[in-house]
Amino acid sequence: MTMLLDIFDPKAAPRAIGIDLGTTNSIVAYVRDGAPTALTTCDGAPLLPSVVHYGSNGAVLVGRAAKAQLTRDPGRTIASVKRFMGRDAKDPETARLGAHKFAIPKNDAEAKSVRFDVGRAVTPVEVSAEILKSLRQSAVDQLRSVGGAVITVPAYFDDAQRQATKDAGRLAGLEVLRLLNEPTAAALAYGLDQKQNGLFAVYDLGGGTFDITILRLEDGVFQVKSSGGDSALGGDDMDRAIAEGLLEQMGATGQSAPEVVALALSAARELKHALTNAPEASIELPAKGDTTIQAKLTRAQLDALIAPLLERTGKACRRALRDAGIDAAALDGVILVGGSTRVPRVQAYVAELFGKPPRCELDPELVVAYGAALQADLLTQGDGEVLLLDVLPLSLGVETMGGGVDKILPRNTTIPTGARATFTTYADNQTGFELHVVQGERELATDCRSLARFSLRGIPPLPAGMARLEVELNVDENNLLKVSARETTTGISQEIAVQPSYGLTDDDVERMLIEALDHGEEDLQRRRLVEAKVEGERLVLATAKGLAADADLLNAAERSAVEAALASLKGAVASAKSASLVQAAIDTLDQVTHDWAGRRMNRAVAAAISGKSLSAIEQSVEHAAGVDAHVARHRGEAP
Amino acid sequence: MTSSPFEVLGVPALFALDEAELEKRHRDLSKTLHPDRYAGRPSSERREALNRAISVNEAFRRLRDPILRAEALLSELGREVSETNQPKPEPALLMQVMEQREALSLARRGGDRGRIESIAAQASGRAEDAAERMADAFSEDPIPVELVLKLLGELRYLRRLKEEAGAALDEL
Repeated sequence: MTMLLDIFDPKAAPRAIGIDLGTTNSIVAYVRDGAPTALTTCDGAPLLPSVVHYGSNGAVLVGRAAKAQLTRDPGRTIASVKRFMGRDAKDPETARLGAHKFAIPKNDAEAKSVRFDVGRAVTPVEVSAEILKSLRQSAVDQLRSVGGAVITVPAYFDDAQRQATKDAGRLAGLEVLRLLNEPTAAALAYGLDQKQNGLFAVYDLGGGTFDITILRLEDGVFQVKSSGGDSALGGDDMDRAIAEGLLEQMGATGQSAPEVVALALSAARELKHALTNAPEASIELPAKGDTTIQAKLTRAQLDALIAPLLERTGKACRRALRDAGIDAAALDGVILVGGSTRVPRVQAYVAELFGKPPRCELDPELVVAYGAALQADLLTQGDGEVLLLDVLPLSLGVETMGGGVDKILPRNTTIPTGARATFTTYADNQTGFELHVVQGERELATDCRSLARFSLRGIPPLPAGMARLEVELNVDENNLLKVSARETTTGISQEIAVQPSYGLTDDDVERMLIEALDHGEEDLQRRRLVEAKVEGERLVLATAKGLAADADLLNAAERSAVEAALASLKGAVASAKSASLVQAAIDTLDQVTHDWAGRRMNRAVAAAISGKSLSAIEQSVEHAAGVDAHVARHRGEAP
Repeated sequence: MTSSPFEVLGVPALFALDEAELEKRHRDLSKTLHPDRYAGRPSSERREALNRAISVNEAFRRLRDPILRAEALLSELGREVSETNQPKPEPALLMQVMEQREALSLARRGGDRGRIESIAAQASGRAEDAAERMADAFSEDPIPVELVLKLLGELRYLRRLKEEAGAALDEL
């Protein structure tokens, strides 16, 4: 396996790609001449079924070939792996109708993640990494050189699910530029296509997840107002509802063999698809006693089966509207995304819910990948005129003494964001403090998703309430959380970087990468060097550009230090034989440009605040005075 | 987070801020400071941009919300207030809130969506009214701090009522 290396064709300029890692299908796209274009996957089509088969001989199949194994060898075939991302071995998702076999965890560390038993135990992160590797290989074949990837996730994914997705990307050897919310990606594709400002709802019903996002597009900024959803609701649940009826008709009672369940699920999918264009459909299925039955399904029956699922989406939509503080009537448009929105009843339901016919001019199965490709392009080539401002999908908080939750960052806060909260000791001479960070809307910590649990030791003994603990939660643009805590009263401040309860450390990823490669260590070193050089080149360009624009913010001594560091980085990029040499040059440049960068940002902020918008402030002051005058008149006073 | 949100966003320290203007300022600053604009830049620069973007978003969150905006203005006057150290509400307000809560729990038990929605809408209307009186109070010289605190208490009760109505709607 040398695929990790051939990303870097030194002769080709690296191209950034966008990946929609879907429950049912995955897609890789890039921007060609300004337009998003889906690449052909190993199956010869844009859509790669998100199915992985682990053969008994050790071979791994991805896509259509793996999908063909779903009914033949269900125990070794993993479909819909996305529904298991970031979930632990006890998660209710593992108990639902499906053909997967799970490995029994032997210890707590193993229980942190669901593991499929495919002859050996594999985690959802590893399975997803196989899909991503296949997509990356397709991109390398067609673009020659891949620079980095934007990977989409459901807006309603929590921190653990996002971290797992990022880990899968790293494990697949991708530089993950950004995790992007799927509805926001779709909005980007529509917005740049239609060039229309306004307030939009994106209704995204995929194979396994549902998202609703309300956003405003203005001045090139896509500002998410609210988002909501259900990370375990989608087309798969329609299939299950149909399959349960089919199993009954087949005479299968109680716990069915994985082959039978897989067959029923696949028949259910076929019937569902057939009903998109026909009022009724039927399929032949084996039944008890070596007979066959002709299972029939009408559109009315399907509509009834999926009604409870649609009602769940409706509830999430109403809440999102409420959170955004708007009525459905205020929306300029509703955008449909996701393969499951092809079901006619879904389209009718959305039209009723929002009181207007939804839009689906762009292929609902490709639009997310298009958006991801556009964002990848913006991140690497953008001029700063288009920006996505997303929100935190679920509140973040800390468990309190009684098992409740102290919400520190409410849902729908614009990201990146951060907040601090102070806690005090509750017992005399308490020298330790347990902290439990959770995510979710429920009132009890046990009902929320546990993100990190850690203890702070070595607090000096003081009377209860005297020692103060400051906890800081920071959420970055990928919606990924960082926690730090500090004891502040005594001046002894302790910074702790929190290791989340799930997820892989850099060391884990490295170890797994080395294990997966024939000449692991050696290959990894070479790859590191190439990566460091790419990074170095990027910095050389960025710094040169900075010098051209803002050299006046440097004094003579600083300027010569920057130029010297720049020259030595150029030298390292050209001739260094090890990644650490390039990295050292990068670090030096980083150091000598640090203060200058702050000044440049101050200048940019001043420009954003003054200039054309100065008059705007004055207007707003005048407007405020106008309100006062209005109120004064109301009370019968002279303004 | 200790610096004034008005300074961070470069807007006048007023209660009656124009929301559209505030949003525009937030957009402009985000275009300058969002981490996406610093992709491929040195890591210290990225960290710096991230921290600044966080404080811009934090300031925006505070100024957009009437309760947090009033707190920020009081803080500029040297009065640190929060939910925990605020004066006791007036009995009349308490009575009103209790009545509304009772009506809400009745509607909740009966699964009466229309009634719950109307309670939420009423709470919104009264909150807007209180915010208008707040704007008025802040425009006086000197600022009647006690009145502001009273209105702040009213806004908090109405906010909680709205949240409870929202939770009731989620349950349906």
